[in-house]
Amino acid sequence: MRCRLGPISVLLLLAALVPVADLFLPPELALSEAVRTVCVYAILALGLNVVTGYAGLLNLGIAAFAAVGAYAFGILTCEIYPFQLGFWPALVLTLPIGALAGTILGAPTLGLRGDYLAIVTLGFGEIVQDVLKNLESITQGMQGINPLPAPSIGGQMWTADDERKWFYLVLGLLALMVAGVRNLERSRLGRAWFSIREDELASRAMGIRPERAKLVAFATGAALAAFAGALSASLLSSTGEPSNYDFQVSILALCIVIVGGIGSIAGVLLGALVMVGLNAIVLAKATAWMAAQGIGSQGNVLLSPNNWKFLIFGLALVIAVRVKPDGLLPPRLERGRA
Amino acid sequence: MQCHGVCVQFGGLVAVQDVSFAVTRGEIFAVIGPNGAGKTTLFNAVTGIYPPTRGHVELHGHEQVEPVTPRVVMWVASAALAVAVGVVAAVNIAELWKAGVLDHYVYEQPFPWGSAAAGFGRAVAALGWIGGVLPFTIGAIIGGGAAWNHFSRARRASDHIARSGVARTFQNIRLFNELSLVQNVLVGMDARMRTGFFSALFRLPRFHSERRASHREAMELLAFVGLDGRADEAAGSLPYGLRRRLEIARALAGKPSLLLLDEPAAGMNPTEVGGLMAVIRRVRDRGVTVVLIEHHMKLVMGVSDKIHVLQHGRTIAEGTPEAIRTDARCIEAYLGSEEHG
Repeated sequence: MRCRLGPISVLLLLAALVPVADLFLPPELALSEAVRTVCVYAILALGLNVVTGYAGLLNLGIAAFAAVGAYAFGILTCEIYPFQLGFWPALVLTLPIGALAGTILGAPTLGLRGDYLAIVTLGFGEIVQDVLKNLESITQGMQGINPLPAPSIGGQMWTADDERKWFYLVLGLLALMVAGVRNLERSRLGRAWFSIREDELASRAMGIRPERAKLVAFATGAALAAFAGALSASLLSSTGEPSNYDFQVSILALCIVIVGGIGSIAGVLLGALVMVGLNAIVLAKATAWMAAQGIGSQGNVLLSPNNWKFLIFGLALVIAVRVKPDGLLPPRLERGRA
Repeated sequence: MQCHGVCVQFGGLVAVQDVSFAVTRGEIFAVIGPNGAGKTTLFNAVTGIYPPTRGHVELHGHEQVEPVTPRVVMWVASAALAVAVGVVAAVNIAELWKAGVLDHYVYEQPFPWGSAAAGFGRAVAALGWIGGVLPFTIGAIIGGGAAWNHFSRARRASDHIARSGVARTFQNIRLFNELSLVQNVLVGMDARMRTGFFSALFRLPRFHSERRASHREAMELLAFVGLDGRADEAAGSLPYGLRRRLEIARALAGKPSLLLLDEPAAGMNPTEVGGLMAVIRRVRDRGVTVVLIEHHMKLVMGVSDKIHVLQHGRTIAEGTPEAIRTDARCIEAYLGSEEHG
């Protein structure tokens, strides 16, 4: 078998060097915390990529599943609830919980396609937020659930100072998820998803069961999103308020998938780096750097790059889609092995 | 395969009316007729894309309908139960949470699981009509009804018919254009594969052995239709004549006992038609029964064992190529009668 580094491994290896680079950078330009956010978004977008990229089902409510994951993690671990599981068992449990939530939404909506499904998932996203806000006795309403545990390896729980450990943990989990999604993509199931995306009638005539494959896609995507939600909640030590999981998050995940290349894992990773990195790294660091240099601290809103965020974000989207409509790293075909 | 009095109606339009025929195992059977005679509609009825309005299609002596097994009953029942429990929980969630968790949990004290479960049980028992029985019944009806409705619609669907050994190609080629040739063939093989979600996710040994076997078989099929040199290209990049061949390879991948070819020679040049005839004969020699729709008379007369002629959705003749060639009504259907010129 040939052994060649694909774009996926290159991106992951590069990311692994970030804490090393941080040793040489001034503290206000340190990258690892921002790259952590990129990784969490990459997991979320990987989930969306399964649903939208592989199976071709437009899902505008992926953030709702992240919310389900975050709150499930919160309820399972936080000490104001009786369950009080540790970080690891709770994190693993969010996968089946997310899959269950995906199945519950997926099962009644299997017959819908395209625009109709998009509207249903959009509605679902709003419902989940409202439920989380109003079910105060369980979810603490607008306060969010906190504090949440950090992982502990070897007995000692990590603190916010263990930045490098956190970084490698998140990166490692991302790599694990990438491997899982890749395995599914290069299997019978992945091909069933692609064939449904290409031509549902023909794939049905070949004996594929579209309902089943779509449901599995929905559940897998939801499980990944829930995992991302739980991970981000643990990073913040709080689920945050329900509106942290609003439509904006879903749209950002969709942008990552589209800009990176629909149906391409490497594309999702690069897309997350570009879309989230722009926000969390370039603009935030530029602002921090300018503040450190004493530029623009006099209250001139136009001088702070952070305030240009949405303009730059929108422009980047327009340019990316106009110049590379297939995405930065479009998917490659599976090769035959004789 | 047998068709018994198949009718397909779209609103007031009768596309196929009372067509009956029987195809014997191992023969090449052609369905011909002028444009709009209902040939493709007949194929769609056979493969379950449209259910026949009347009549039925039998394969191996029985109709292809997914049976109601205990597993299906259990599946429908558990969907009903799950939705019912879900509705009851949703209606009473705050109350049940309080009875099961909040009333028993004191901060940083160990949680009394036993008494909490008992409290939860009492709360469930006390739900009464409005909180318990009514939502449960409504949920069970919705869940069970939806699951049954879904099943009854799916039981005659074309995926089930395909899985019972009927493969087809399409008149307006329907390949998966963005997938490679190998992937197209592998999709056709899906019904015979056994790898589940978890063996694919963790790449268990079973996944590897099945992948090796299926890739080898797919390459053999591509070689069979003469496309093995282009296995990794996207299907959308193939020239027209070769796409037909790929469709045949994809259809054969499911090891069907019956292969339906919808105008396989459309748009082909004479050399390509010659190649196609050879492919069709070789398919028959593999033990596959072939039914084809075709306008290309040289091909039909050259390969068919039996020909069935349709016009305006009705059968006008059936017989061997020689008999059809001289049948007055067929000549009229194709060339027009003397009066109409």
